[in-house]
Amino acid sequence: MNEGIDISVEFGGLRLGNPVFTASGTSGYADELGEFMDMDRLGGFITKSITAKPRKGNATPRIVETDAGMLNAIGLANIGVERFVEEKLPILGKMKAAVFVNVAGETIEEYLTVVERLANEERIAGFELNISCPNVEKGGITFGTDPELVKEISSAVKNACGAKMLMVKLTPSVTDISVIARAAVEAGADALSLINTFTAMVIDIKTQRPVLANRTGGLSGPAIKPIAVYLVNKVYKEVAKERGIPILGMGGIRTASDAVEFIIAGASAVAVGTASFIEPGCAARIIEGIRKYCVEHNISNIKELVGSVSQ
Amino acid sequence: MVCGFMKGFCEVVMGQEYGSSSKGEFRAVVSSNRQIGISFYRLTLEFSGAGAEAFDGFGPGQFVQLDVSGAALPPVERIPDELADAARREILLRRPFSFTDVTREGDKTVADLLYCVVGPATLRMTTFKAGDSVSVVGPLGNGFSVPEGKKKAFLVFGGMGTAPMQHLAKVLAWDEKERDIEVVAFAGAKSVHALPFEGRMDEISQQLGFSIREFAKYTIESMVATDDGSSGFHGPVTDCFLEWLKENKPSVEEAIIYSCGPEAMLGKVAEIAKERNIDCQVSLERRMACGIGVCQSCAVECRVEGSSETVYKMCCEDGPVFDAREVVF
Ligand SMILES: Cc1cc2nc3c(=O)[nH]c(=O)nc-3n(C[C@H](O)[C@H](O)[C@H](O)COP(=O)(O)OP(=O)(O)OC[C@H]3O[C@@H](n4cnc5c(N)ncnc54)[C@H](O)[C@@H]3O)c2cc1C
Ligand SMILES: Cc1cc2nc3c(=O)[nH]c(=O)nc-3n(C[C@H](O)[C@H](O)[C@H](O)COP(=O)(O)O)c2cc1C
Ligand code: FES
Repeated sequence: MNEGIDISVEFGGLRLGNPVFTASGTSGYADELGEFMDMDRLGGFITKSITAKPRKGNATPRIVETDAGMLNAIGLANIGVERFVEEKLPILGKMKAAVFVNVAGETIEEYLTVVERLANEERIAGFELNISCPNVEKGGITFGTDPELVKEISSAVKNACGAKMLMVKLTPSVTDISVIARAAVEAGADALSLINTFTAMVIDIKTQRPVLANRTGGLSGPAIKPIAVYLVNKVYKEVAKERGIPILGMGGIRTASDAVEFIIAGASAVAVGTASFIEPGCAARIIEGIRKYCVEHNISNIKELVGSVSQ
Repeated sequence: MVCGFMKGFCEVVMGQEYGSSSKGEFRAVVSSNRQIGISFYRLTLEFSGAGAEAFDGFGPGQFVQLDVSGAALPPVERIPDELADAARREILLRRPFSFTDVTREGDKTVADLLYCVVGPATLRMTTFKAGDSVSVVGPLGNGFSVPEGKKKAFLVFGGMGTAPMQHLAKVLAWDEKERDIEVVAFAGAKSVHALPFEGRMDEISQQLGFSIREFAKYTIESMVATDDGSSGFHGPVTDCFLEWLKENKPSVEEAIIYSCGPEAMLGKVAEIAKERNIDCQVSLERRMACGIGVCQSCAVECRVEGSSETVYKMCCEDGPVFDAREVVF
């Protein structure tokens, strides 16, 4: 009924059919959710984290459910950039959605290997930099928690990614997320995505051991949504708005209402993560819901909504 | 009636990719939810329309993901003490279950699910009643298959591992007429109360017989083993199976073992199979988030042929049924 309603958005120079992405690590490499929804209806698609070499990932258990959320410690399991180019890019090339490749690594060199391999690929719109990874050269400190490291890695990748868009994905496990956001933008990030998961732990009280083989994992799902909305709004007000940098907001989104809430907080687009596990076609339903919201609230351009929360 | 549901199984037999093209999210209507033991229930689901088509081809060993998040808790007095804390937990993720029986009835497909109450989701499932609507994602994963030339199938299972085995028994019994496969079932549990079968289980002999109705109805003989000896053979089901093998010495080439249950038991069964060079398929369980191959949470460590390296395969997509030789237990 609302099919014809225009909910297209401008996102860092890209024109997207609608503001809904699927998030990294929750929708596979390419068309895995295609049996549950028409992938061409998505505004954007983000691959799971791709590294220079294939990675096996962590031992199991890799996940555990918590109240209104879950922890995961997959350990960046992926087929590596070479197989990704060979097996997955051809499928991604057929998709209408803007495709972002999420890049991860343990050294700046590793990030660059992936980005350089893909920088000239027409089939992708840009990169999403996962900086929630430990830096092995700096004693395992997470890239995304140190503004200097964030600057260093963002500018190195920006130099390597040519005309492609660079989106830096922020971890919420920091004291002041705006400091990190600023570092990324000053180093050349074209967009920011937030939030990644919160480091968390679940202990089995019978065995007195952590449930996850990795001991800790990242908390995602509805449980983190209000914090994510707050952080998106904070980064929007303190960093993104004045510089005209778009935000891809995420964290616990499972309905159109959730998505609209993020947009009002300051996100130009949103990503659906954990909710796809429960309802694999969830993103398509959210897109329809946003259309309906726009009709009911007389919104002719999503732009009017972005950051519209009262001060 | 049987033909439709055999369709899927025959595809497995021929080694074709199976089930993946028809998986989706469907709604099923509960037609009954019966308690069959202290903590065991049998839930019957009815699919119509596209769901009926999709599940018509559901093969034994495949599974579904149920959304139980909307189901109510039972009244406080019906919540067992040991689950009082767990009952407070909210449910976010779907839960994986096998089917014990799948039948085409006219334009509907009816599926039976056997479940054990162990936590918040299965506790909520006890309140499902006829007419309720449930969201089901499936059919998922790869089920059991029968390689050419097999004449004797052993089903060795523990606890809730019986669920897919009953479905497999039905299919093999049908196949028996075609291919003359003889089936013997070995059921294990901690004690008589943990045997998820209907009828009295406390007067079962230590001999092979028709004491488990769920298998007897397909004229499949079974043997029961309990760790405490409260029913059937006194000891682990793997010991019971081993003794039987020693006594009966079946032809190795013509035999195949199918197993489902606790991981330690599966490891033992895999060892027995390897020592005797008998083909063996095991159905594994892992904690699953998506069930459809996108989250990588359900890793199973597998050997790579001709190498000392191992790889992680996904239980939900590459399994849950694996060749026992492949799995690192
Ligand atoms: C492919 C597959 C098929 C299954 N088929 C059946 C079936 O036919 N009938 C049935 O009763 N159950 C089956 N299960 C198990 C069933 O999914 C769990 O019992 C159920 O998810 C428990 O949910 P809960 O919220 O009640 O308890 P939870 O609190 O989630 O779990 C209770 C306890 O079981 C453990 N546990 C839960 N899920 C798993 C898992 N996947 N692997 C290992 N340990 C786990 C937890 O650590 C916890 O200690 C199957 C599992 C898989 C993976
Ligand atoms: C199982 C799982 C795997 C994930 N893998 C990745 C990943 O590989 N790279 C990444 O940048 N983020 C990853 N994430 C984080 C999500 O993209 C998202 O930022 C986070 O889960 C918050 O959104 P949500 O609450 O909607 O899931 C993963 C999340 C989950 C649950
Ligand atoms: S449960 Fe998600 S990949 Fe298997």
